[in-house]
Amino acid sequence: MQFDWPAIVRSLFSREAVTAVAISILVLGVLLAYLAWRYMHYFLSDAGIDEAVEGTAFERTAQRFGTSTVGLIATLVGISIYIGAMMLAGAVSQRFQDVSLWSPFVAYLPNLFVALFALMIGLIAGDKAKLSVSEKFRSIKLPEAELLPELVKYSIIFLAGLVALGQLGVATEALLIVLAAYAFGLVFLGGLAFKQLLSAGAAGVYLVLSQPYSIGDEVRIQGQRGIVQEVDIFVTHIESEGEEYVVPNDQVFAGGIVRIRD
Amino acid sequence: MSALREFLDDIVADTDAVFLFSPSASLYQSFEDDDTEVVVIAPENTVDAETFVELPLEFTDMADRIRFGVEGALEQEYVEEDADVVCIGDVFDDTPDSIVRVQVAEFSPSGVYGLFVNSRAEPSVINDVLDVAVELGKKGQKGKPVGALFVVGDAGKVMNKSRPLSYNPFEKSHVHVGDPIVNVMLKEFSRLDGAFVISDGGKIVSAYRYLEPSAEGVDIPKGLGARHMAAGAVTRDTNAIAIVLSESDGLVRAFKSGELILEVDPEEY
Repeated sequence: MQFDWPAIVRSLFSREAVTAVAISILVLGVLLAYLAWRYMHYFLSDAGIDEAVEGTAFERTAQRFGTSTVGLIATLVGISIYIGAMMLAGAVSQRFQDVSLWSPFVAYLPNLFVALFALMIGLIAGDKAKLSVSEKFRSIKLPEAELLPELVKYSIIFLAGLVALGQLGVATEALLIVLAAYAFGLVFLGGLAFKQLLSAGAAGVYLVLSQPYSIGDEVRIQGQRGIVQEVDIFVTHIESEGEEYVVPNDQVFAGGIVRIRD
Repeated sequence: MSALREFLDDIVADTDAVFLFSPSASLYQSFEDDDTEVVVIAPENTVDAETFVELPLEFTDMADRIRFGVEGALEQEYVEEDADVVCIGDVFDDTPDSIVRVQVAEFSPSGVYGLFVNSRAEPSVINDVLDVAVELGKKGQKGKPVGALFVVGDAGKVMNKSRPLSYNPFEKSHVHVGDPIVNVMLKEFSRLDGAFVISDGGKIVSAYRYLEPSAEGVDIPKGLGARHMAAGAVTRDTNAIAIVLSESDGLVRAFKSGELILEVDPEEY
């Protein structure tokens, strides 16, 4: 069951005492918000968040405004605690008679904070993902390869934006349809494109785990006879007389293996 | 001071290319706008140089480093065969402190660049094996010096030219050199007799292998033992390279095509 705490407080104390309680709640709220701000600062820095976000566009923007990602998150938490205390104090003292006027806004506040938070995480994660993907593709000097990190970044930001808008109660159906189409395209076309690799990989897992043949064995796969030089997840290297066949592992499965023992 | 300056001018006169060994960004930039060819030789291309030779290991000896750099630059056609090259590098500290002039034409290649780059196995694998051998040479097994023989690359052929001395401890395992656990494992297994066989991709295929190549006509320096002889012979019969840690003198040597290519003292690392 739910207690109506403000009502209980009002029934227990006199009118003056209620005001005093409200004021003390307010003071306590300020103190708590300050402590939370300090603690968040300390905790986030300690968890290595400031190092993790270093160099992202979001952090740079934050620094241009004289703050940092850690500072922003801490401030956000502090403000939300302070506003909560203010609301509680207001409710206890019943100072504001026209509560109905701004209570929708109050009910809306937590959502707003969550939305802001989601957006922040999305921006940072997007930047981070972009950095790590472009790091992976650094050795490939193709203009097309530069598109991929951007795509990853904006996909993540799009998702974060969707979450944020969902929190705010904005109609996101249209965006959801776009997301669904995007995800479908990714899965369908990706599956189509990676079909061969996936089946080779699945066969490779078996080959690597149970090793029906190993390096140094003489085998015949799909008519290619030679000595096994290397077995990895996707391909098997077979060599004979200076010719090296790189056989996809799904072919090994499809055609079977002949081990030559003599 | 004028004599010194003149001497220095003589050294750097008419050079075709400048080799910078692990330069700082500012040093590289001051040379970049110059009209002579600049080649950067470093473990990592930190200055984004276009002409770059990657050092696979930190050669402590400047001469080794220059040798590798010149061979690498020749191979990648950064310099002509008759070029005069000035090398700027460090002998003592990490700051450039010495200038060396090298005439590429009078330079006999030792094949140390080819050992890393033109072998069957990937350069990073060779590098990892060399690291393991150096590490093993430094610490030994429980303080006692150990010997070890690693045959890297062309594993299928090597396996067919050798036989097991006992059960293979790496059977059905998937250990690659460079995995963190490997140093400890190899240290433990180095007390076993025989060679380690490592594939092109770095998988440790087997330990305990007795190599059976024909050692006839293998020419290695006198005084080296059976382990080195086996290493020289196996690299001549196959396309593998061999890295040997000597039990008696503690040096790490690399063989390719039956010849001794590189000699490293683990204590210097």
